[in-house]
Amino acid sequence: MPTLLDLLKSVSFLAAMPAVAGLLITAGILVVSRDWRLNVIALTVQYFFVVLLLTRQIRLEVAAVKGLIGWLICMVFYLTERRASALEQPAEPEDAAPQRWRRWMLSARSSFHLLAVILIAVAAYTAALRIPLPETEVPRDITLACYLMAGLGVLLIGISEAPMQVGLGLLTFLSGFDLFYVALEPSLAVAGLLGAVSFLIALAAAYLRTAQAVPAAGEEGAS
Amino acid sequence: MISGALLLLILPLAMAGIVYILLRWLSTLAAWLAVGTALALGFAAVTLPLDQPVQAWGGRQIAMGEAVTFLGREMVFEPSDRMAMAFLFFSSAGLFLLAWRFAPRSLFFPIGLGLLSLLCGMLLIRPLIYAALFLEMAAALSVFALQAEGRSPTRGGLRYLTFTTLALPGVLITHWLLERYAVTPDETELLGSASILLAISFALLLGAVPFHTWVTAVAGDSLPLAGTFVLTVGNGAVWFLLLDFLETYPWLSSHPIFSPLLSGVGVAMIIVGALLAPAQRRLGTLMGYAALVDSGAALVALGLNSRLGVSLVLLSLSVRPFGLALLAAGLSGLRGRVGGGDVMTNDMRGMGWQTPWSTVALVFGALSIAGLPVSAGFVWRWALCRALAPSSLGTALFLLLAGVSVMVGVWRSLSSLLMRPRSPEDRSVVTLAPSEGWLTAAVVIVAAAASVGVGLFPQVIAPLADSLAGTYTFFIP
Repeated sequence: MPTLLDLLKSVSFLAAMPAVAGLLITAGILVVSRDWRLNVIALTVQYFFVVLLLTRQIRLEVAAVKGLIGWLICMVFYLTERRASALEQPAEPEDAAPQRWRRWMLSARSSFHLLAVILIAVAAYTAALRIPLPETEVPRDITLACYLMAGLGVLLIGISEAPMQVGLGLLTFLSGFDLFYVALEPSLAVAGLLGAVSFLIALAAAYLRTAQAVPAAGEEGAS
Repeated sequence: MISGALLLLILPLAMAGIVYILLRWLSTLAAWLAVGTALALGFAAVTLPLDQPVQAWGGRQIAMGEAVTFLGREMVFEPSDRMAMAFLFFSSAGLFLLAWRFAPRSLFFPIGLGLLSLLCGMLLIRPLIYAALFLEMAAALSVFALQAEGRSPTRGGLRYLTFTTLALPGVLITHWLLERYAVTPDETELLGSASILLAISFALLLGAVPFHTWVTAVAGDSLPLAGTFVLTVGNGAVWFLLLDFLETYPWLSSHPIFSPLLSGVGVAMIIVGALLAPAQRRLGTLMGYAALVDSGAALVALGLNSRLGVSLVLLSLSVRPFGLALLAAGLSGLRGRVGGGDVMTNDMRGMGWQTPWSTVALVFGALSIAGLPVSAGFVWRWALCRALAPSSLGTALFLLLAGVSVMVGVWRSLSSLLMRPRSPEDRSVVTLAPSEGWLTAAVVIVAAAASVGVGLFPQVIAPLADSLAGTYTFFIP
């Protein structure tokens, strides 16, 4: 049976511009979408692409551990959202089928967010060309990935005050910084502490999300 | 042999677990365990000798000054850390004592102890980049304490976490830039980049204008005493980190724009706080703007770039908990009466008669944080005004007016709080509402007396701040 390291080696051909494109798409989905299922999947895939890019800068085993922390965070988000949406949502009415399609249509808000994603992507591309990170440590495509993730992370933080959106934004921002910083400081202590930071941020966001759901459920119960 | 650094790191963490378990059934015992742990560690940090081991229980020895390795990095308790540790632990003990009466079953006790462990680690670990990571973990953990049970999610906690996360890259990259500069001293632009990154990072961490929104949000919608912990103990740890940075890299303070930059940002914070504080209709937000004015004044003091300036910064850190803790205790008591949310001025009509001790705490806390006479806050504000007057009379006047401005905001709330409720026959009555209890009264009296005592006898605390300032040598002599 192939190990995680074997799997990562077999897809290492993606660890360049395809992974950067993947990061743009997944971070873009996090900004545009408000469907928690889609967001959790996007975050999971985002950590996969981050790990792929990390394998070019640090040892495969360390990158794999960072990936595992990321996927554990996705699991925390999945379980929290599942519980929170069960607390919040009333029973689905029978004529809800047409409404399901509505969630896939692009609302005015989503269109605006998509436009913002495109603007950030253009700004990140320009920044990668004009203000390159030290090329001896960080390759050009990873520089672009860093700027993209930092920019989209800040955008996510700025457009919402919902705990999960802010949590996703903070984690995206930190992943972008991590891509850059592992090249400067590849020590295991820093990698471990940054992993602990990410995990604590995820727990804090999940705790606040639960706090958001519980009063809502209480109010419904009271009415 | 137990290392002192390890003791300061592990003991609060272990006690946090015990306090968390006890909190559900024996909340009074849990609160006193938290107070006792903080007091014991504070006394240990101040009194135990650093150069020789001390006999402890079961034949074990505690060597406070012995270095310990954590994740391959050295942690050591140095003489200059004594006062910082004393500040962290004694301020926390005071906050835990007030929380015993005003937030008895909150997560503030265990999380507060956990935060103490992380903040100690932040101040003891070398090199300084690890401190930034410890601070970030502390910010994430503090969200659990800031969130009041059964309330909608705190914006303050999220914003505090966000601003701390945004500050993290700057601090980490600065360290790398400075290491690179040490190898290639010709590349002077590295110093410029490091200075800019460090200035932005600390502006985010200290809530300097225009990054101050987390300060008012933390004070406005979080558990008041936990918010005060962030604004005093957490903020104090950031100040000590800034002083460590300035001590480690003395060229930062000798930069020509160092003093004008700090003074300018400080004055901006004082003006914003002074203009917005009296306009607030919520007591929590008013507390946030009062804290903003206090932080701005501390930045102005640091901008003096002298030993006196550093002494005043350290004095401000020592006395800030008196004002903010009392204000937060009063706010907690009032919130308890109106159902938990931030208290609007209009909701408080006549409540001062039902919650007399909360009102007393509010008044004494406001006096101190506004820097008015016969309060702890007056001690350092007046000294700062006197230091500023010869060279910068305008800033000194702004500072005095800011104190008055904060008090105007509090006065509006007080006039509503102390409004006498009227009976149907339109006569003024004071109902015999349930008392807040003699224990609450005792705690408030002790805290208010401590604040007034420091205000009347500043010679108790000022020499300590001055001697600690003597351990820093970065300022221009």
